[in-house]
Amino acid sequence: MKETQFLIETIENNHLWDNEIEISRNEYLKVKGSIDTNLYFIKNGSLRIYVIHELEEHTIRFGYQNNFIVSLDSFITEEPSDFYIQAIKKTNLKIIKKKTFKDLISSHTELQNIWTKILEQLILQQLEREKDILTSSPIERYKRVLKRSPQLFQEIPNKYIADYLRMTPETLSRIKKS
Amino acid sequence: MEFKTTELIAELIEKTRININKVENYRDLSKNALNHKESLEKWSVLECLEHLNLYGDFYNPEIKRSIETSQTKPDKTFKSGLIGNYFVNTMLPKKKLNKMKTFKDKNPSGSSLDTRVIDRFIRQQKEFLELLQNSRNINVTKTTTAISISKLVKMRLGDTFRFIVAHNERHLIQADNALKQAIC
Repeated sequence: MKETQFLIETIENNHLWDNEIEISRNEYLKVKGSIDTNLYFIKNGSLRIYVIHELEEHTIRFGYQNNFIVSLDSFITEEPSDFYIQAIKKTNLKIIKKKTFKDLISSHTELQNIWTKILEQLILQQLEREKDILTSSPIERYKRVLKRSPQLFQEIPNKYIADYLRMTPETLSRIKKS
Repeated sequence: MEFKTTELIAELIEKTRININKVENYRDLSKNALNHKESLEKWSVLECLEHLNLYGDFYNPEIKRSIETSQTKPDKTFKSGLIGNYFVNTMLPKKKLNKMKTFKDKNPSGSSLDTRVIDRFIRQQKEFLELLQNSRNINVTKTTTAISISKLVKMRLGDTFRFIVAHNERHLIQADNALKQAIC
């Protein structure tokens, strides 16, 4: 998305990154119960966001290279959040603090508009995701997600895709073959 | 000692995250490295983890029970107790890890262990995070738990949390030391 790109460049040019970290595969950026108001930019690697419900993990969202990842509930409310954020492979992240970020976007109307646009896109994505979950046929769920984000199938291991699609890995590989 | 409750819980969650990450990295190690014992009495990485798991088997359900039956309201301040401070202090790792006695029922030495010990540890830590989170709704000074070594003594929940995290940190340092021996 060109809006994200523009925002990243602005942060970069103004030297507003707070820190840069590397986490290895399976390590956690965030665990349940913590308050994390940072915004993270994924330089390389990938991550997943999940919740645990009745001892089972449910993957909610993925983060890819050149995108932001954030525990949006904590970011907005500054309260503890249930989300886990885990690296799927070795991942490098740049961190910007909420305050720094807020100060930046409120300094220019144009940046404010860009941030609004990014959030609007996010709302649309969430609506699509809601439709996914209400789609009862596994094959239809698979087709919807494949059409919407082919990137997912290139970058993320099958077990997490299956979880995201709310089906077993066996069902997913059967659907992929047919 | 007094703590701001929200800060204490946040700090214990963050330490638990770091402990989980450490153990997630053990997954990439060979079976040999994970089972290496410098001497018969010293513990391997997996034995350190199993020792923590044996504690988790006792404390997770005990804490869960204490939270569920607690009829208290959260308080801004946590006041640690005498027994709590004593146990937490004995856990704090010195520069060179001081030797401590292990209670027989918590000694993993000689049991046959595989990498399922790692899965069990991670699962228990996630349960533990859940308990830390749920404790935000009650008073962690007034709510108490039993302790593993005595039926008579009760510990304040906030202290039980502090003890468990310190105990985890201690034995993960020990596991790292076992690993250094295995690698060289």
